[in-house]
Amino acid sequence: MKELSPADASVLELVDRLIHKGVVLAGEATISVAGIDLIYLGLNVVLAAAETIEQKIQRKAS
Amino acid sequence: MSLIAHAIVATPPIGVSTAGLRGRALVAVDCGELGLWATELDPEVRLEREDAFAHHRVVEQVCAAQACLPVRFGTAFGSAERARLSIEERRDDLVRSLARVEGKREIAVTLLWRSLEGAGARAGPAAGLGPGARFMEERRALYAERDDRRIRAAELAERLVAELAVERELVWHEICMSRNVAVSLAALVPSERALDRKEDLAAIVARFGDVTGVVNGPWPPYSFTALGGLGPSAPG
Repeated sequence: MKELSPADASVLELVDRLIHKGVVLAGEATISVAGIDLIYLGLNVVLAAAETIEQKIQRKAS
Repeated sequence: MSLIAHAIVATPPIGVSTAGLRGRALVAVDCGELGLWATELDPEVRLEREDAFAHHRVVEQVCAAQACLPVRFGTAFGSAERARLSIEERRDDLVRSLARVEGKREIAVTLLWRSLEGAGARAGPAAGLGPGARFMEERRALYAERDDRRIRAAELAERLVAELAVERELVWHEICMSRNVAVSLAALVPSERALDRKEDLAAIVARFGDVTGVVNGPWPPYSFTALGGLGPSAPG
């Protein structure tokens, strides 16, 4: 698995805050967030997804 | 038009010299005791990654002008009236939360494991084992490695919290959220001392041998907007 660089970590921490934290105001639709669908589920999922993708690439190569 | 919410402030909202999303003007929705900064956008517009960062820039500007509660990115209202109703439902909690973050900023610390090779990988299965025993031995080593990492990450988090010397309710952290990340921590610190605290934290994490520390901020208080009581916001 690719190691996470400090710069990657900074961006992921910020994005995680933008889409995972902050006040949630109920009763209204949250509009779709195209382009950040992969990271919408949060830091953990992004890292898991990256790992999964790498494994698939390695399996194809072998 | 939809209103894309950015931040909640006490009234009167202090004007900020920045545009909203996609260069559009920011609008302040009067919700009585509270105000909401938002951008009017066509409801058909799909928000992109860059809009998330533009939202962050808006929240930063608002936060620099007065105490604010960032709203989760992507929150939209069909009209100003709908926004007012939603905020009115939670007015008391929002007012309390605003008081808690007033004069404070968030500093973020991420500790990344320097090596992803753990004890299990180093030991390896004993020679001469059959496939079943080898499998069991590998599983045991893997779980032992995870346990060791969790214990170490908890120690690191406790050290950071102790060094910060702030009230527990002003610190939030998670450990081992992924294989790379040992600790993710956020602390709410006085705005005027935020840069000093950031330097302090950078010096502290530089002393840890087994992790690389990344210190970010000061940011608006994203992690401390929980309603209905003290404590940081719950993960999504």
